[in-house]
Amino acid sequence: MKLASGRGEVALHELRPGPGPTLLALHALGGSARDFAARAASWPGRVFALDLPGHGDSAWMRGGSYSPELCAAAADDALAELGDACLLGAGLGAYVALLLAGARAARVPGVLLLPGRGLDGGGPAPRPDQAVEVRSADALRMLEARGAKERAAFDPMLRACETDPRPPEYARAFADEAKRLLLAEDGGARPPWWEAARAAASAEPAPSDPAAALALLARAAAAPGRGPAPRS
Amino acid sequence: MLPRAMEVGYPGAVAPARQRFVRSLGLRLNVVEWGDEAAEPVLLTHGFYDHARSFDTFAPLLARRHRVLALDSRGHGDSEWPDAYTWLADVLDVVNVLRDLGRPAHLVGHSRGGGLATDAALLLPEGVRRLVNIDGFGPPPEGHQAEGMRRYEGTIPELLAAFLDWRRTNVARASFRPSPSLDELAARRRQQNPRLSLEWLRYFAARGAREVEGGFVWKVDPYAARGFGPWRPEWIAPAWRGLATPMLAVWGDQPDTWGLPDPWRSERLGHVPVLETAVVTGAGHFAHIEKPGETAELVLDWLGRA
Repeated sequence: MKLASGRGEVALHELRPGPGPTLLALHALGGSARDFAARAASWPGRVFALDLPGHGDSAWMRGGSYSPELCAAAADDALAELGDACLLGAGLGAYVALLLAGARAARVPGVLLLPGRGLDGGGPAPRPDQAVEVRSADALRMLEARGAKERAAFDPMLRACETDPRPPEYARAFADEAKRLLLAEDGGARPPWWEAARAAASAEPAPSDPAAALALLARAAAAPGRGPAPRS
Repeated sequence: MLPRAMEVGYPGAVAPARQRFVRSLGLRLNVVEWGDEAAEPVLLTHGFYDHARSFDTFAPLLARRHRVLALDSRGHGDSEWPDAYTWLADVLDVVNVLRDLGRPAHLVGHSRGGGLATDAALLLPEGVRRLVNIDGFGPPPEGHQAEGMRRYEGTIPELLAAFLDWRRTNVARASFRPSPSLDELAARRRQQNPRLSLEWLRYFAARGAREVEGGFVWKVDPYAARGFGPWRPEWIAPAWRGLATPMLAVWGDQPDTWGLPDPWRSERLGHVPVLETAVVTGAGHFAHIEKPGETAELVLDWLGRA
């Protein structure tokens, strides 16, 4: 279904009908709702996946303005449509899920973060090639506007999300508010924002196998929720 | 177009000689120009809620030696409105106007436009010869303490929740309450900028407002004021350490709500590798409007040393 979101619209896909608890899945940079088709069966309730702005069947943002916060705004529109829901996010979608789980803690009983593309740079130590990357994304988008034959799978300006300058402590503030925060760990490297979230009192490691991690999320979200960590 | 705009004049104000649109990230941006097209170019970037015609007294003074261009930021003046706002997209607009120009230019920005100009020089060092930043060093850590301005306080997640709430209810139908006359619009603006004369603000409003049912509203997009979620200038100021372009930082010696006082100004400018500073006596935040002659002399001298 198409959802009005800000001045545009986004596509929300129902992957698994249901009774049972709701799961909203948010894909990685360059992905789409389809990335979760195979995983929907691991969840005991209904499953929805959102095409983030500029991805899949969702509209490209007029003017090329993208940020994790604006992606969170689209996910917030989906949450308003669905009611309370657990969140599953990969890469950029994991960061967006973390923001929403902290800002809308009363409506998100649990969140599971998976690794994936997006937001592995930025913060206090931006990669030296980021300016070049942003300019090339901008140039690609100009080609798109001139009617390049092959339309990109996603708006190249979304790569600007990679350069987001907000520091790891910013992500930590949301992790501290989240009710249940599960991070899929496989021993691989994680970006600084992930490591900051991992240090929050509410954070728990989850298996790297997505089906096992989703089962854990379902159990965690069904258990009596613990409140947000006390503020120091 | 706006017959009323033609009727409202101001001493020293000169309308631009040329106007055109430049496309950036799919948006049509308004660019106006003064001076000889063959002269060395200078691009001016205005402040938050201002517009390109706010340079009508300052640009003609620079145009004695330069080709002077002024950009209406996205969502401001006669440029188109985007779906949403990010700092980076605004910076890329400045980069794209420079690219469209096809030759290196000087950049002169005021307030928010000074910050945009500085970050554009970071993204396109080969396109920017010299930089002037007029009191565009970002707000204080807790924001500007302006009378009548809504302040958003709370934890970072609460600030994001407030942004999400506002966006869900307001973005699609955001609009200003019309003022019955341009004079009243100017008078209302003066409450925010008491250092600017009513005569100037009438001139400014005649070019920055449009007529709607019930009176006049600013052309600016109301959404542009709401920002893009939690944001702190100290997150981006350290990147100024990478600035390859020499910067002249200008500010007035009079206290002003919209300026950045020390210690923050010194702290942020401390990141700039090649820096000169100049203080305009008797001016507040709007040095180029309050003291156009003195400010133009400083700028012309700095650009002349390129």
